[in-house]
Amino acid sequence: MNPMKVAIRNIGICLLALVGILTVAGCHKIEEQDNSILNNFDMLWKVMDEHYCFFEYKDIDWNEVRLKYRKQAAEARNAKQLFRIMSAMLDELKDGHVNLSAPFETSYYRAWWSDYPQNYNERLVQEKYLFYHYSQLGAAYYYLLSSNIGYLRIPSFEYSLGAGNIDNIFASFLVADALIIDIRDNGGGNMTNADSWISHFISEEICAGYISHKTGPGHSEFSKPFEMKVKPVEKGHWLWGKPVVILTNRSTFSAANYFATVMKTLPNVTIVGATTGGGSGMPFSAELPCGWGVRFSACPVYAPDGTLTEFGVEPSPGCKVDMSPTDEFAGKDTILDFAIRLLTTGSC
Amino acid sequence: MKRTLLLLFGILLTVVEISAQTEEAVLRPVTASYTVGVGSSHLADTYLSPINYNGWSASLNYDRWQTMKFKPQLWVMNMSFGVDMDRVLNQSGNAVMWAAGLRASWGMLHRWDIAKGFKLGIGPALNLELGCLYLDRNSNNPVSAKAAVTVGATAYAAYNFRLCRLPVTLMWQPSLPVIGSFFSPDYGELYYEIYLGNHNGLAHCAWWGNYFKLDNQISADLHFGATALRVGYRGRILSTKVNNLVSNHFTHQFVIGLSGEWLSLNPRKAISPNAKRYHALFE
Repeated sequence: MNPMKVAIRNIGICLLALVGILTVAGCHKIEEQDNSILNNFDMLWKVMDEHYCFFEYKDIDWNEVRLKYRKQAAEARNAKQLFRIMSAMLDELKDGHVNLSAPFETSYYRAWWSDYPQNYNERLVQEKYLFYHYSQLGAAYYYLLSSNIGYLRIPSFEYSLGAGNIDNIFASFLVADALIIDIRDNGGGNMTNADSWISHFISEEICAGYISHKTGPGHSEFSKPFEMKVKPVEKGHWLWGKPVVILTNRSTFSAANYFATVMKTLPNVTIVGATTGGGSGMPFSAELPCGWGVRFSACPVYAPDGTLTEFGVEPSPGCKVDMSPTDEFAGKDTILDFAIRLLTTGSC
Repeated sequence: MKRTLLLLFGILLTVVEISAQTEEAVLRPVTASYTVGVGSSHLADTYLSPINYNGWSASLNYDRWQTMKFKPQLWVMNMSFGVDMDRVLNQSGNAVMWAAGLRASWGMLHRWDIAKGFKLGIGPALNLELGCLYLDRNSNNPVSAKAAVTVGATAYAAYNFRLCRLPVTLMWQPSLPVIGSFFSPDYGELYYEIYLGNHNGLAHCAWWGNYFKLDNQISADLHFGATALRVGYRGRILSTKVNNLVSNHFTHQFVIGLSGEWLSLNPRKAISPNAKRYHALFE
């Protein structure tokens, strides 16, 4: 055979062999998961073990939790029984951002708010203080109280308002002496929407906290916290410089908890009501072989002072107030009255 | 001195003239193909889910071959563009993941005419890829973006023969990136954090240990006159592992389309009767 052809044939064989070896060695396997009860349980445990971000902060022994619930899971006879056991295991995390979603149910850990007084009656506020004459813009609504204080209700940060919309709200409070922002029962939403509101209360860029993320499956593998900044709204838009009171309760959660955290650092801002519900871990999602979804806190968000507010933001000193059942029965909102008194008289 | 300069000038003119004559005497037809690929897809990305997904994939491909202007008998250029789309399901069938991507590559291959109608070539190639995976069931991590710039090796073997009386070109083209750079978020990093400005550790040096990609295309061009029907197989393996995140994307596609050779000619210039054609693939 022609030596050239022999050389080309040999080179070709070597190349094919190299490509074959590389294909086998270069492909990183992701194991196929069987859909057995125990494997679904183990997968849920593993996903949380490798991604959940508050094990050390909450001092949770996740291996012990596995031992406790795996025996029960092995005895589960159907999907609903397994779901109950898995949900109970997730409840050990005491985290409102953790959910297990099956086609028949979504699990929620509720004790973070259900173990506390609600401290908010929306209908009462609308009827007795706003007389149902409030203006509404998106999900937010607002009204100038008789005490010449603006009342702004932000029920959620799921929805965004543009700077021009917020200008219009503030314009209606032009003559107001102060502003009350009611974020009780605000379960959160997008932090960028909270930032849009915050940008109307600052005249220069501020540190709004720090965000970190896991860099590996270990419980203590975290990135260096990265500073989050909020800039003031662009020139030409309204900035609010008068006193502000933020009303909070235990159902003030997640992005609303972040809003309260940041606003509390501003001068002229007072937090009145109850400790917020927390929720300072930004959630991630994953799934199990059976198709159930799981959501969990994955990225801790720190306050500007570097602390975690996973268990909530305390009201300002001397401003911790619960709704009195007697007041509520009489058509009064104890927390709102406290805020009005604070803003009009300067004392509690 | 003057005489030497004149002599040098004369030699230069002669070289330029010979070169011009050579250029005029060379015709470099472009072999272009437009194909559609349809087939299966296997996708898994642990940033989005620990579960493997399977479904279908489709692609639109443009491929262009031409001998190089310099030494057309030895060098061939290959340029290709593609758009990919995949739709895959998890094993329980209750979640859909979409993948979309754009790719482009440019390679320059040294070729050998081994025998009549049989060509082999190998050379370096620059590859660009952009795309994303989308899993709508996820809350804050629904997307995994993909981007890579790599340099690697590409090769081809083309064999022209007649099947009864029908001219056929069989071709195999493997392509293997060797080194480059690719994008990946950190293990548990949200795109929100990247949006806030944390761009640390997003670009990674690609090598076979963390970025392995192998493209294989086997095709047969059935020449019906000036145009050929191209049918074939396109297989793609992409496997990455970085920041404790593993991503696999395997596709197998049946490819069908049109191919042909065309020449770009200046109507004001006649083709020299001595012009020599250098075909990249055919003949």
